[in-house]
Amino acid sequence: MILGVDVGSTTCKYALVDGDRVVAKAYERHNTKQAEKVLEFLVNLERDHGLSPGRDRVFFTGSGAGLLAPHAGAKAYQEVVAVAAAVEKLHPDVRFVSEIGGEDMKTIFFTVEGEARNKQVLMQSACSGGTGTFVEKTARKLGVRTEALAEMGYGGRTLHKLSSKCGIFAEADANSLVKAGIPNEEIIASLFEAVVYQNLSTLTKGNTPMPQVLLLGGPNLFFRGLREAWAVHLGRLWKERGVELPAGKSPEDLIVVPGDAVYYAALGCVELGGAEQAGTGVYAGVEKLRWWIEVGQHEEKKKAGRAALWEEQEELERFRAEFVKPPPQCVPLRGDTVVIGCDFGSTTAKAVCITPDREFVHSCYSLSRGNPIEDAKALFRQVREGIGDAKIVGLGLTGYGKDLLKDILGADCAVVETIAHASAGLHFFPDADCICDVGGVDVKIMILAQGTVVDFRLNSQCSSGNGAFLQGVAERFAIPLGEMADRAFSAQAMPQLSMGCGVFLQSDIVNQQRKGWQADEILAGLCGILPLNVWIYAGGLNNLHTIGRKFILQGGTHRNLAVVKAQVDFIRSKMPHSEVVVHPWSGEAGAIGAGLVALEWWKAGGRSRFRGYETIESLTYRTTTSPKTVCKWCPVDCQRSFIDVEFPGAEGRSWSKVPLQPGWQRVIVNNSCPKGLVEDVDEMKLVKAEMETTKAAYPNVADLVRKEAFRTVHAAAR
Amino acid sequence: MLRTWFGRRPSAPSTPRPAKDRSKLRVGIPRVLNVWSTHRFWTAFLEALGVRPENIVYSSDTSEDQGREFGKGRGAVDCCYPVKCMSGHYGELVFGQRRKLDVILSPIIYTLPSFLHGHVQGSFSCTRVAAGPENIKSGFLKEADVFSGNGIRYASPFVSFAERALMPRQMVKGLGDVLDLDLEEATKAVDAGFDALDEFNARMRSKSREILESCAREDRPCLLVLARPYHMDPGIGHEIEVNVQASGFPILWMQYFPLDSDLLEWVFHDDLKSGVIRNCFDISDVWPSSYSANTNEILWGAKVAARLPWITCVLRLSSYECGMDQPTYTPVQKIVEGGDTLLFKFGDLDSTKPSGSVRIRVETIVHYVRKSSSDIIARKRARLPADCPLLPRR
Repeated sequence: MILGVDVGSTTCKYALVDGDRVVAKAYERHNTKQAEKVLEFLVNLERDHGLSPGRDRVFFTGSGAGLLAPHAGAKAYQEVVAVAAAVEKLHPDVRFVSEIGGEDMKTIFFTVEGEARNKQVLMQSACSGGTGTFVEKTARKLGVRTEALAEMGYGGRTLHKLSSKCGIFAEADANSLVKAGIPNEEIIASLFEAVVYQNLSTLTKGNTPMPQVLLLGGPNLFFRGLREAWAVHLGRLWKERGVELPAGKSPEDLIVVPGDAVYYAALGCVELGGAEQAGTGVYAGVEKLRWWIEVGQHEEKKKAGRAALWEEQEELERFRAEFVKPPPQCVPLRGDTVVIGCDFGSTTAKAVCITPDREFVHSCYSLSRGNPIEDAKALFRQVREGIGDAKIVGLGLTGYGKDLLKDILGADCAVVETIAHASAGLHFFPDADCICDVGGVDVKIMILAQGTVVDFRLNSQCSSGNGAFLQGVAERFAIPLGEMADRAFSAQAMPQLSMGCGVFLQSDIVNQQRKGWQADEILAGLCGILPLNVWIYAGGLNNLHTIGRKFILQGGTHRNLAVVKAQVDFIRSKMPHSEVVVHPWSGEAGAIGAGLVALEWWKAGGRSRFRGYETIESLTYRTTTSPKTVCKWCPVDCQRSFIDVEFPGAEGRSWSKVPLQPGWQRVIVNNSCPKGLVEDVDEMKLVKAEMETTKAAYPNVADLVRKEAFRTVHAAAR
Repeated sequence: MLRTWFGRRPSAPSTPRPAKDRSKLRVGIPRVLNVWSTHRFWTAFLEALGVRPENIVYSSDTSEDQGREFGKGRGAVDCCYPVKCMSGHYGELVFGQRRKLDVILSPIIYTLPSFLHGHVQGSFSCTRVAAGPENIKSGFLKEADVFSGNGIRYASPFVSFAERALMPRQMVKGLGDVLDLDLEEATKAVDAGFDALDEFNARMRSKSREILESCAREDRPCLLVLARPYHMDPGIGHEIEVNVQASGFPILWMQYFPLDSDLLEWVFHDDLKSGVIRNCFDISDVWPSSYSANTNEILWGAKVAARLPWITCVLRLSSYECGMDQPTYTPVQKIVEGGDTLLFKFGDLDSTKPSGSVRIRVETIVHYVRKSSSDIIARKRARLPADCPLLPRR
């Protein structure tokens, strides 16, 4: 018998073949334990199907093959070679293969010239864009279960723009779509679109995928919508490039997805192995593999790793004594006047009530439901419960929802996040030199001097160092949020991960798993690398000396003590005499800052226009996201959403493509520039006139260049 | 007599050669990379050769749609995002024209027409950018020659803008066949091209001077963008500076900074006096290996920004993983911040318009520019001689 084993990045597969008959096959997730899963397979096969050492032959492929094959006496093949072998045998007419794996994607082009049959292989495994993880990661975020995901379609859905090149960006895009009220089905269809686009744009390199086409790998097999997206895109491409289809055949007829698509690499191993000399790949039994799992991998990784987040127990205790503090408590409200600061963030909405004496009397939060109006209702219900009838004399908002909600709630100050965080940090530590705020999706470093932010670094384009990335990895390892720090501290050693791009870090994690590092150790490694990603990679600050000596750590990610330990060690390694403090209200800093700005405003004589709890509670709204709401002012085509809120006295918009009756006010969201706040041509005329006035008063030389540089010489001279 | 003396016949009275008819020729130019600083040259050059203005077609601004529609599957391996985008532009010129083009002209620009030329070691273009056309072309030739398949001739002249005298021959070499071009015509057309480019640059610089004068008069701030020329392309620079402009601040670009000696001598007064620099365009004090034109200009721009009072803030734009920009980050930051001037960097720009972060950053920038500008202006003003050439003489 010949056994082919495909040790992939997320799953292991095998096919046991006797002659031409597949005796047994299996496809299982390994949950980062590749070696253990392979051992389990082998033990089962010996027991149930008589796989025998010394007699049968074993061949491995996949990302873990190189490391594990020698321990079972197997020979390893590169996975594309294995897949190609299976395809050549089973589908001689296929000219293009796309195999999408958990964390890689491959294409194979077969060309036939006379008798000769050539193949060109293109593979990409450094980036999550276009892979199975790309889809699953976002689907998980949307709360779509795997079974439902498999059945979701592509055809006929409104498609939205999702970054196709990076899974992490795509997730952020999906978040925006959720907030805009886009149904999950449309987001998932857009994901399938992005996967196919990414495969076609990066892995074809100028070649045209010709029929017949074979789709392999888990995602292609399991996701109906992905197969539909392939059919649409390939059909379009064939039409564009004049590829003639056989008479009577539609693109769908020419795309083959075999039922055993996930086993092709394993079957290819069997095919290639069968042609090897008799002594190659003779099964050596499980003993060596078992030794590797129990002993070998630990020895190996010890050589390659670095010390854990702490060296001696005593050091960890000292750290805990310094940084573990009881959570701050609100004080009872004595007077009857408060200002409220709210932070409508990407994952939660928070509110803090502050007295004129700057005491915090109430704090609450609600998980974001993707709709800022619902979030506001939930939040203000809690505020009311917390402070009863106290008079609200000022309302400050920060976070993404600040502009949208400002009028609806009657807020007095819309405070940009950076300023809010700086105000909150300086309130507790007026002598601070730097605030490092690591949130869910962005990293902000605010450098302070004489109580003001003199410089700041913001990184929200890249997931490197942010909390969402850390959380995403923990989720993948099924480690609950609250246990992250303890699990990371439990590691005795940790892998040295590479600083930089989150996507590369993701592949590095797979690489480390392959070397045998376990979830806790990898998590520790991630916490360990976070400061480098925050300060050096994202912040571009190589020399902390230039910043100052007192650092405040704030933002939700710093609630994770393992991260704090890594940060403190990093900062002190650079500057032994620096002082590092964690903001006592680490997660609420934004809301506190917004409240403090509102308080300052009130003290300067401001009179609040807060609309009151009743009005907020009774807000009625409806959301429209459709082709009619797409912004058409520039080629970017932002998919905006209109949130129409019932508002007594509002004029309505009878002229709109999405008409709005009087008594309703429209709020436009998901626009990416001020132009997008304008609904259409009529409104644009007015706004344009205003913009032109601003532009004339405040010219931009590039405007002139864009306008004139490419005109004809004669026209420009006029 | 003459015939006897020189032993040969006098040449026939010269008759003008019949002009070549290029009036029907349609030429497309990808609006990419350093075409953003040589645009006027190419237009005037072609017009001088008799190509009708309406037949000179630049591809549209870079956009994701353009890349999706026209560049899909034709990408070449290049980590430089602005280079990658070229395939969309090529595709648009081939497939996206209502009236077909006859020629695609995509120059390999080896050296640039930098205003610092002569004061620095070299004015080379980024090698990756210069090689862009060769790289991207391959995606259209791989399976079949897409250009000729669509009746288009592809021409990619190698040109040295810093060595004007070389250009006519380079044009003949690179475009001779495609445009039926001889040296005499090329020489005249190159002259016309440079005239138009010089005129355009001068006009933009005078606009910048106007802006500076109004800021000086009203003692209000403006912002300076330090970037490569193609960051003016809305698909590459994402019009980030427009968001700041919309909040009421004029925007200058280093490429078109006024070069008037009265202004520069005032700005660099102390440095000239102390002998730190030999002249106003000398950057050897901050950038010893000054061979790359765009990089040199960025460093020079940083020096100007650090000194000129009404430039209270610098916006630094840079594309993803730009190897040419990488070494400039720290020096630029040191120079600008050392001059009490705010610096905000938008690095690693690529296809994703970082709209969320742009908004936050723009609001923060606006907050601080509003808050700090008057102090910055006063501090910087105090370091310069009293007699400011931007202000009307008393």
